Order: sequence, then structure tokens, then C-alpha cells
Amino acid sequence: MTALLQVFFDALSLGSLYALGALGIALIFGVMRLVNFAHGDYIAFCVFAMLWPSIDAAAIVFLGNLPAWVLIPVILVLGAGISVLSEILVFRRFRNANPATMMIASFALGFVIKYFLLMLYSSRPKSIDLWSAVSLPLEIFGARIPLLQVITIAVTLVILLGLVLFLKHTRYGLEMRAAAENFTMARMLGIRANTVIMMAFALSGMLAAAVGLILATQSGTADIQMGANLMLVAFVATVVGGLGSLPGAVFAGFLIGGLSSLMQAYLPPDARPFRDAFVYGAVIFMLIWRPNGLFTQKSAKQRV
Amino acid sequence: MKTWMKTGLGVALSALALSLPASADDEKIIVGFATAQSGFMQAYDKPAEDAARIRIDEINKAGGLLGKQIEIVAADTKTDRAEGAKAGLEVLDKGADLVVVSCDYDFGAPAALAAEGAGKVSFFLCAESVKAGIQGVGPHSFSASVLAAVQGATMAEWAYTKRNARNFYRLLDTWTEYNKGICDGFDWMLPRLKDAKLVGEDTFKNDDASIAAQITRIKSLPQEPDAIMLCTMMPGAVSAVKQIRAAGIKAPILNGSGMSGSYWLSAVPDLSGFIVPEQGSVHGDDPNPKVTEFNATYKAVTGGDPSSQYVYPGYVMIDVWAKAVERAKTTDADAVVAELEKMKDEPTLFGPRTFTSELHHQNRGRYLITEITNGKPKVIDEWTISEAIPVDYLASK
Repeated sequence: MTALLQVFFDALSLGSLYALGALGIALIFGVMRLVNFAHGDYIAFCVFAMLWPSIDAAAIVFLGNLPAWVLIPVILVLGAGISVLSEILVFRRFRNANPATMMIASFALGFVIKYFLLMLYSSRPKSIDLWSAVSLPLEIFGARIPLLQVITIAVTLVILLGLVLFLKHTRYGLEMRAAAENFTMARMLGIRANTVIMMAFALSGMLAAAVGLILATQSGTADIQMGANLMLVAFVATVVGGLGSLPGAVFAGFLIGGLSSLMQAYLPPDARPFRDAFVYGAVIFMLIWRPNGLFTQKSAKQRV
Repeated sequence: MKTWMKTGLGVALSALALSLPASADDEKIIVGFATAQSGFMQAYDKPAEDAARIRIDEINKAGGLLGKQIEIVAADTKTDRAEGAKAGLEVLDKGADLVVVSCDYDFGAPAALAAEGAGKVSFFLCAESVKAGIQGVGPHSFSASVLAAVQGATMAEWAYTKRNARNFYRLLDTWTEYNKGICDGFDWMLPRLKDAKLVGEDTFKNDDASIAAQITRIKSLPQEPDAIMLCTMMPGAVSAVKQIRAAGIKAPILNGSGMSGSYWLSAVPDLSGFIVPEQGSVHGDDPNPKVTEFNATYKAVTGGDPSSQYVYPGYVMIDVWAKAVERAKTTDADAVVAELEKMKDEPTLFGPRTFTSELHHQNRGRYLITEITNGKPKVIDEWTISEAIPVDYLASK
């Protein structure tokens, strides 16, 4: 029983990070049909923002020295800032372009951010110690789960709930959904579309910052590549969950994390290095079964 | 043929003669660096390159090599394999007698192959794969470092002998060949240690967001292993170590030299029982005072302390190559290779070096053993594995 519970907790640990990443991508996709591949680089940017630019091997901690109650809002604002800035400088110009063009633009933006960080901080990973105490595990019914993961899971669920309430029950949420359905029509009906889209970018950037803080706390490392893997899994999760569906993205994030943990736990040693092949194999089967993802948005379906 | 045509041909020929490689220049010896001066690999190439330049300076100040000054030419690989081949050709065009290539096998090989094609000696700055040499490039290619497998074997034998470790656990990060190399060496050594056994093994990926499942497997062993062989490198290694210790696993963690240096320790405050092999100490406590002197020179030249042991192979490289050139009395590649292959336990500042006609790399080597206790690294021992790892075994991996 304890062993099963442990596997469940391990799956939750990994899944919660994926879910949080997927949420940030699904949000932007839901509003403007953009798969923002620069999201992973926002994560790296937010983590590096805690360090002073230097190409020395040893990191010079700068913002990271602030107390948590200042640091968290500052990093969230920075995340929102870079995300909004990329909307103003880049994505706004592609508003009427097709989604593939926007996706390529997001790749390009990601490269720019990555190489900007490389220039300032060099390619060497930097170390940063952030709130070590929350990495310590809690014992629940004999199974162990790091406090950080409990926080991550709670944060993910709260953000999901908050977003759903925001989108379904507030005026801005309604406007956001309207802009997502038909941008031109929404504008004609008097919705300040740019404000709405900027708000979505700000929220998505904050989610990237949150993931960055969690990753930095857990790994103690800032690396220019650090968002890449998470971004990839999160993207797959948004596809599996049904592009544009927020609960779908979160559910699929947990699902992929869970699947990955289960494979790690139960595959024979020789097959374990190929864990991801099995995970993505399962993803392919899932997509053959439900090509539009698990939770399909009505608006995402092709209307003939 | 009209006179003006003859003149034209003559001009063309003399222009051709002028553009021929400068190797005809007998006044100096040229070392060409076809390494990354920009991009991802730059941070890994530069420290060893700086050390190589220090050794070149020393030789030049002492009167040069074969009475000639060593001149450096360089070309940027831009951390790109295609550019790497071009950089190799560029330094060869500038007359390089020795082509120094990137630290990593994959990034260094294109330039090394260019050198091999031109029949020149090439040296990988610090590649630790058996392919960095005869096996992967050709008979004129060498590496200045020690094979990753030796690091794994060293840690296993040392922990067995000095820490009475019998029950080992093996955790492999499948990201790079380097990581696999450490575990290959460990796997080779383990059956040679009487009563030592593997009580469990697992794999992870360097960029795994969490290794909770791997930790659960260690935790569910009937008793904690005597030592965990962790075959990984930066940046995932820090994350793995942090998570292992946070989960309350106290067993000593053995690693390869990839985790040498103290720059990452701030990520895991008060880390204890973490042990790495190092070719020399960057912590100022090397048993050889000359190493500490070198560290001071390095600081004076570059403005910073060496960040990890990967500075040192650059120095060793120029050292052994220059010795071979002195003995061969020429920079001719075949003669220099023959002299290098005669080296057996050739002393260098950072441990002895042996090259044979079979292997241009170290399948055995002296390592300092550095342990981190309460967040402080300290050299606690020295170890040379009792027998060299057979070339056949290395090549089969």
C-alpha cells in the first residue's frame, strides 16, 4: 500500500510541474491560437534574473538574495514583463498571420532569449540555493513527498481553479474567450482586444516564472537550456489534453508525468533508458484514439 | 607563347607559392587552436586553452622549442560541427604543426579529422571518450585527459579499499557518452573486487524535472547501499545530488571528474559524503606545491581561479607534445607521434601519461580523491587503479 502511494506521489511530483508548464502554453493557445515555444526560455530568463550577469563559473546571486515575500512577486512581474514585451514587440505583428508563422516566430524569439542569456551568463550552468528547506520530504502514510511538490500541486490546482473562474465568470474572462473565438468580431463589438491578449500573456508569463522558481528551488541550477525539456513535455500535454482546454492541459500534464514515473518504476532496467520512447508511444496511441485530444474545445473543431 | 602570357603565368605561380601554407617557415613553430571561441562550448574550451597558452608562454620564455618560438594561430568553431571542420582547415592553412581541438569528442572531431587528413598531429583539449584518438579519428590524434571509464573504475576501487564499500548502487544519467563511460569503468572494476556487489541500478535523464521515482527505488532497498555510483554531469548532477540528499539518503556518492570544482556547491549547502576524482586540486590543497603555483599563474593570467580540473589537461597537452617534439628534433607528425607513443608514465604536473600505438588516451591514471564535507572540498587521498582498463573492453562499449 505504502509502495503504491509512493508511486502515486512520485507521479504527482513530476506531473505537477508538467501541468503548470502546460497551463501557461494552453492559456496563450486558447486566446490567440499561438503555440508559444519561447515559453521554455521565459522560464530560463526568470531563473537567470535572480543572478547577476557574469561569465564566471561561480554564480553571483543578486535578486535571489531577496526575502521570499519580495522575490516571488518580483520574479512573477519579470515573467509577466518579458511575456507582455514579446507580445508587443513580436506577436502583435503576426496577429493576422497563420498559426504556423506565429509558431516559427516564437521559435525565433526563444533563440534570441537563449542567446541573450548565453551572452550575459555563458553556457555554464550556475548554482543557486533557493529555500532548501522546502525540498525536504514530508511523510504521509509512510510514503514520502517533498514539501515543494505539495506546494507545486496546490499552486497548480489553485491557479487552474482561479483561471477557470476568471474565464467563465468575469467580464475580462468573457472578453478573452470572445477574442479567442473571433478576434475581428470581438473588436467590432467593442472589446479592447489588445488589452485582453496582453493580459493573457501576462498570466502566461507569471506561470513561466512560477515554474522557474520551482525548478530553481528543486534543482539548485540555472541553465540556459533548463526550460526546453519541460516546454516540450508541456506542449505535448496541451495537445493530448486538447489544444486550448485548460483543464485538459493540466490533466494531461499529470497524466504524462504519471506515465513517466510509472514506467521508471516498473520497466525492467534494460528498457528504462528508453522510458521516453514508451511514454511518447503511449501519447501517439492516445492521439490516434482521440485526434483532437482528451478534452476537445468546441471552438477548436474545424467548421466546414 | 607570348611574353605577356609567360609573365602572367609566372605571376600566377609566384602568387601560388606565396599562398602555400606557412609551414615552410623555419623560424617558428605554430600551434593552431581550432576551438570554440563563441557559443555553448566556449565556456568549456577556454579554461583548458588558457592553460595551454600558459605552458606555451613558459616554453617560449625558456628559449622556445628546438630553438624556435611557438606562435599561436586560432580559428573559431562557433560550437558548430561544420564550422569545426572549417576551423581545422583554417589553422592548417596558417601552418599549424599541432591542431588543438574542442574539449568534447563530437565537437572536436571535425577539426581533428581535418588535421588527420593533412597528416598533422591533433590533440583534444579534454575529451574523455576512447574515440578521441586512434579509434575515432586516426593515428595522429590524441587526447590530453584521462578516459571517463578510469574515473568510474577509480571511484569503485578506492571506495572498496578505503571505505570498505561492498554494496554499490549505480545511477546512470543516459544523456552523454561521458556519463556512460564512467559507469562502464565502474562495471569493469566491480567484478574484480572480491565480495563487492551491485545491489541495484537505475537510469535517469539529465534534464528530468524530478527523479522522485529513482529515489524511491533507492529508498526501498532493504538497507542503504555503502556507496552510490552516480554517473552524471552538470547541470543535472546538482539537481540529482540535491534530491538524493533531500530524501535523507546519506550513502557516499561517487561521481566522475565532471563534478570537480567548488563553483556549484552553493546549490547544495552543507553537502557531505560527495567524492570525485581530480587530476589536480583547484582548491589550493594539491599535494604537489607546483600545482598551487600553477593555479596562481592561471589566476594572474585569466583573472580567476581555475573553476575545475578541466583546466589542467590543456597544460598537459602542450607539455607532452613539446617533449615529444624535443625528442624527435622535428615537428614532423609521424616522428612526433612515434615519440609520444614511447611515453610510459611520463611525469607531468597533473599525473603521469602513457601513450601506445593502440591507445592515445589514458586507460589508467593517478587521481586525487576529493571529498566534500559540510560543503567544503578537500583532497583526502590519491589513487591509481591496480590495472589498466583493456583497450578491447573500452572499444567494445
